[in-house]
Amino acid sequence: MSARSALPVLSVLAAVAVLAGCTSTAAGGNKSSGPDLVSAGKLTTCTHLPYAPFQVKKGGAIVGFDVDLVDLVAKDMGVRQEIVNTPFEGIETGQDFTIRKCDLAAAGMTITPARKKVMDFSDPYFNATQALLTKKGRPVKKVEDLKGKKLGYQKATTGGIYAKAHGKGVELVEFEDLGLLLTAVKSGQVDAGINDNGVLFDYVKKNPDTAVTAEFNTGEHYGIGVRTGNDVLRKRIDAVLKKAKSDGRYDRIYKKWFGTTPQTTGRS
Amino acid sequence: MPLSKRRRTRVIRGVQYGVLVVAVVALALVADWHQLRTAFFDVEVAKALFPDIITTALVNTVLYTLLGFGFGLALGLVLALMRLSSVPPYRWIAITYIEFFRGVPALLVFIALGFGVPLAFQVALDMNVTVMLSLGLVGAAYMAETIRAGIQAVPKGQTEAARSLGMSQGRATVSIVIPQAFRIVLPPLTNELILLTKDSSLVYLLGLSLNQFELANFGRDALNEHKSLTPVLIAGLCYLVITLPLGQLVRRLEARTARAR
Repeated sequence: MSARSALPVLSVLAAVAVLAGCTSTAAGGNKSSGPDLVSAGKLTTCTHLPYAPFQVKKGGAIVGFDVDLVDLVAKDMGVRQEIVNTPFEGIETGQDFTIRKCDLAAAGMTITPARKKVMDFSDPYFNATQALLTKKGRPVKKVEDLKGKKLGYQKATTGGIYAKAHGKGVELVEFEDLGLLLTAVKSGQVDAGINDNGVLFDYVKKNPDTAVTAEFNTGEHYGIGVRTGNDVLRKRIDAVLKKAKSDGRYDRIYKKWFGTTPQTTGRS
Repeated sequence: MPLSKRRRTRVIRGVQYGVLVVAVVALALVADWHQLRTAFFDVEVAKALFPDIITTALVNTVLYTLLGFGFGLALGLVLALMRLSSVPPYRWIAITYIEFFRGVPALLVFIALGFGVPLAFQVALDMNVTVMLSLGLVGAAYMAETIRAGIQAVPKGQTEAARSLGMSQGRATVSIVIPQAFRIVLPPLTNELILLTKDSSLVYLLGLSLNQFELANFGRDALNEHKSLTPVLIAGLCYLVITLPLGQLVRRLEARTARAR
């Protein structure tokens, strides 16, 4: 997925300003067994809500595809998962790891070279493509069809990067949140919106006056991010993912959230 | 040996200063300056922000603020007069409006106008119009109360004198009372302008194209691009470029008002 962005980053700023000096003392955790966790007995996950069906609030709890996968990791480590909702910018820039806000980031986040510089990624766990959302009945097959029209994207997302690269002559409009972007398409403020296929298909299901008219295979994979150098945790995640894919638990979780089984092609 | 009262005061004051200095030094020593410098003061990143941060972001921030302030001031004056009207329904409308828009977050007003209006009427308002209305509607609620206080602060004798010269009530209000009221409320109105300058960052909710970015959005976009907090700091400093002179203006106006008395 891309990335989504986020709400004000001020909280991150404040936290960085306060904690930058004492990161070395902020570490807690059980050094004796397994990975060093920021909070003992808990696997703390950073995410940015909402990003259905990957993470979404439902009945007082946060559920979703990512949540179920990380639960497998937590179970393997004998701890429980605790989810922190935080601006996507803080996740994507690696700041949340710097200030030890969480152990891992599962936020429907595409593995990109820029992000690899500020964090380490698990093996890919989901194949994402970018897709276009429009009001029903608009024949928009590619970004170039929107010349002279408005294309909305979400700040700090790979969809935004794709739109900037292919959107010559298209008026690009940046939105802070996925919800605002989708509403802008629905209310006709922009002619189309670009984002990851998973979330757009989820939206179209509930909003039949909109349609996904195109998908672009951008070769994106979602990965779970960990603090740079935290190989103990990263390898643990990879081992759990690998096992879940071979014993069918991954497919069951996939079917639960996407309604289909994953295509075998391209997924590692 | 007992200290004299004067000496004791000086010792106590000295201790207070000492504690302050120790606290500041301790904070400075504990902070990881290298981390802070790489995160907030990356010169290369800072250079890349110019000139767009001035020519686009700063200019747009000023534009949005002035649009909102202009509309808000006009509406605020009308509301203040309605609030002071002898016709009850006018007063009720004004009070309801002021209580409502002073009470709801500006964020909700932006969302209601930016997304509610297009969904309800299938018309997309121009971005600048939406900003002007959203900021103005909120600003007007505060400014109406300020202006009302200013009008009430003009001595009654001014109206009576104008009336005795043969002016109508309306004429006396427009020509005699309102000009004096505005002189009184200039400092608080400037405060409102500063508040609106910062509230203008809420336009990010409406969705912005590149040439519509204002300072806060510009800073955060560059934060994502450069993976550095430096742009946010620079954008923050740019707000000071706008607000510090305004604050200075308020102080000068206050001093002038004080001298005039």
